[in-house]
Amino acid sequence: MKDDNDIITTDNPLTSAQQANLAALLDAMIPADEDRELPSAAELDLVTYITGQAPEFIPVLALALNSFEEPFAGLPRTERHLLVEEFSKNEADLFNALLFHTFACYYQDDRVLVGLGLAPGPPFPRGNEIEPGDLSLLDPVLQRSQLYRSIVD
Amino acid sequence: MQDTVDVLIIGAGASGAAMAWSLADTRMRILCLEQGDWMNSAEYPTTKQDWEVQQFKDFNSNPNVRGLPTDYPINDEDSPISVVNFNGVGGGTILYAAHFPRLHPSDFRVKSLDGVAEDWPVDYSQLEPYFNQNDRMMGVSGLSGDPAYPPKQPPLPPIPLGLVGETIARGYNNLGWHWWPSDSAIISQPYQGRDKCLNLGPCTSGCSQGAKSSVDITYWPEAIRRGVELRTRCRVREITVNEDGMADGVIYYDADGVEQQQKAEVVIMACNGVGTPRLLLNSRSDQFPDGLANRSGLVGKNLMFHPFGIVQGVFEEKLDSHIGPQGCCILSKEFYETDLSRGFVRGYNMQITRGAGPVGTALQGHVAGIIPWGEGHHAAFEKRFDHVASIAILCEDLPEEHNTVSLDPHLVDSDGIPAPKITYRMSENSRKMLDHGLARGEEVMVAAGARDITSAGPVRPAGWHLLGTARMGDDPDKSVVNSWGRSHDVRNLFIVDGSIFVTSGGVNPTSTIQALALYIADTMKKNLANLFD
Repeated sequence: MKDDNDIITTDNPLTSAQQANLAALLDAMIPADEDRELPSAAELDLVTYITGQAPEFIPVLALALNSFEEPFAGLPRTERHLLVEEFSKNEADLFNALLFHTFACYYQDDRVLVGLGLAPGPPFPRGNEIEPGDLSLLDPVLQRSQLYRSIVD
Repeated sequence: MQDTVDVLIIGAGASGAAMAWSLADTRMRILCLEQGDWMNSAEYPTTKQDWEVQQFKDFNSNPNVRGLPTDYPINDEDSPISVVNFNGVGGGTILYAAHFPRLHPSDFRVKSLDGVAEDWPVDYSQLEPYFNQNDRMMGVSGLSGDPAYPPKQPPLPPIPLGLVGETIARGYNNLGWHWWPSDSAIISQPYQGRDKCLNLGPCTSGCSQGAKSSVDITYWPEAIRRGVELRTRCRVREITVNEDGMADGVIYYDADGVEQQQKAEVVIMACNGVGTPRLLLNSRSDQFPDGLANRSGLVGKNLMFHPFGIVQGVFEEKLDSHIGPQGCCILSKEFYETDLSRGFVRGYNMQITRGAGPVGTALQGHVAGIIPWGEGHHAAFEKRFDHVASIAILCEDLPEEHNTVSLDPHLVDSDGIPAPKITYRMSENSRKMLDHGLARGEEVMVAAGARDITSAGPVRPAGWHLLGTARMGDDPDKSVVNSWGRSHDVRNLFIVDGSIFVTSGGVNPTSTIQALALYIADTMKKNLANLFD
């Protein structure tokens, strides 16, 4: 008889147990910050993002998520952090790859951009305003004599 | 076989475009073959939510990482600096930062002034009208009055300094050192049908606004209106020669990988400092067994990069550093001209650049061990994002014959053409120069009020400037082309890209590459009646 956790009930390529472990892992990587109004990385749809960017990583990730034993997802934050730290050392390449995708997915999410005080969406066509700058700062430079070497053939 | 054309230009980048536009005056039949595609600005990363990640993939500046069908592989394992480029209409100008300083007058006279390398067979005053013409064609923003240069008048006002520029400028002022708003090939005002810069940030992944002056939107539309034909997805395998030892055309592969032949009266190479020697070395024949135009043995020799270092400082105050033209802000020429008391000959440019976007900040911060994952993540990110300014140290690299572009014995591109191999060692002079620059950059950061200052160099993925591999000169034994780009060995073969640089100078070379191309085009036009004499 199959464990319920092994049944894939949606388009999500991860089992529900793997999803729970991933959420706990992501929450350990980037937890929510209420004061800054920033979500936890677990709130993002990272699986869909990775499926679009690097689908070959999904089965590798799925396998790695199986290595977390229950009740990893239900552990207090500090205990989870220790297990993730251990995982980051034992599976350094995989962890760094996951971190790359997580940071990329997180910092291009509109909720995060707004939390950082930025406008949502891509930079174009919105554009940005920057300070023109004070060109009177050049006054001391203009006092200087010629800096380039003259050439006399 | 196609009809014979009068002029065949290989490569549609910075120099090929300028050449095509200028030669169009002659009403000759001019054809340009380009191995890449036309770009579509609506597809550039900044039109997309995942704009920062795109820079790691299809818009990566390293062709070995990008790996597009239009790219060719480069073996750069034997070099501490890897080659970066772009293949398409516009060439390197699609991904360049558009930092647009000229070489200095002294750069053309290094042997006479400093006793190193060779003097150029042309000088600044000869190129000056072409620098000015190119500034107008490209649309260059800047400020006149810089004491580090002979007088010049950029056609457009400088791009905004922003808080980054102001902050670092104060640091330079505190030290009493030179700084100046950068000449930038980015339009600060509407210009010739193009709208002004929107301060999107990442110029180095293509400009969606069209404010960055890449040649696909400056020279090429004009050249095509004037009758030049530009054929894309045509990868040249070799230049062919006739029994008289003159170039008579090329063999290339079209978009379907089918071999084609194109005959021409004149062949002009504009393939950059790696692509040009690669093609010449691939063009072997009984008459030229060591590669075309290589009787001097110097094709592929004297490769120069600009060894590049970076100093970063984190500031207490917010600098809005992720917006505005990333590579264009201010520069300093305080250490550009030779002063032997510094322990090295020649000098370097200091280029102040703006900071990374949110994804780049997080990733760079993590790699540097500054932004952790976990509980401390948000606080560390907040301290860094939009609070960073950088100073790039760009060193003059002197020519050394052991730094080479050769043909890799095994590696080939998708059409089976042998790929280039880079062999490069950074000289002791460059090392001392870079160390000096990094230390001075740190001083500027301190003077500007930065905390958490870091510096590193040479940066590996920084081989933007590919120079010297088919250098110009009057002596056929010591150079590949003459003072107006014509091969000493093959009198209807011209080279106009960065490979003809005799020395590298210490600045981004595109402005000088294009001025040289315009100068060569003009010289050809003046000598049409006896072009091959």
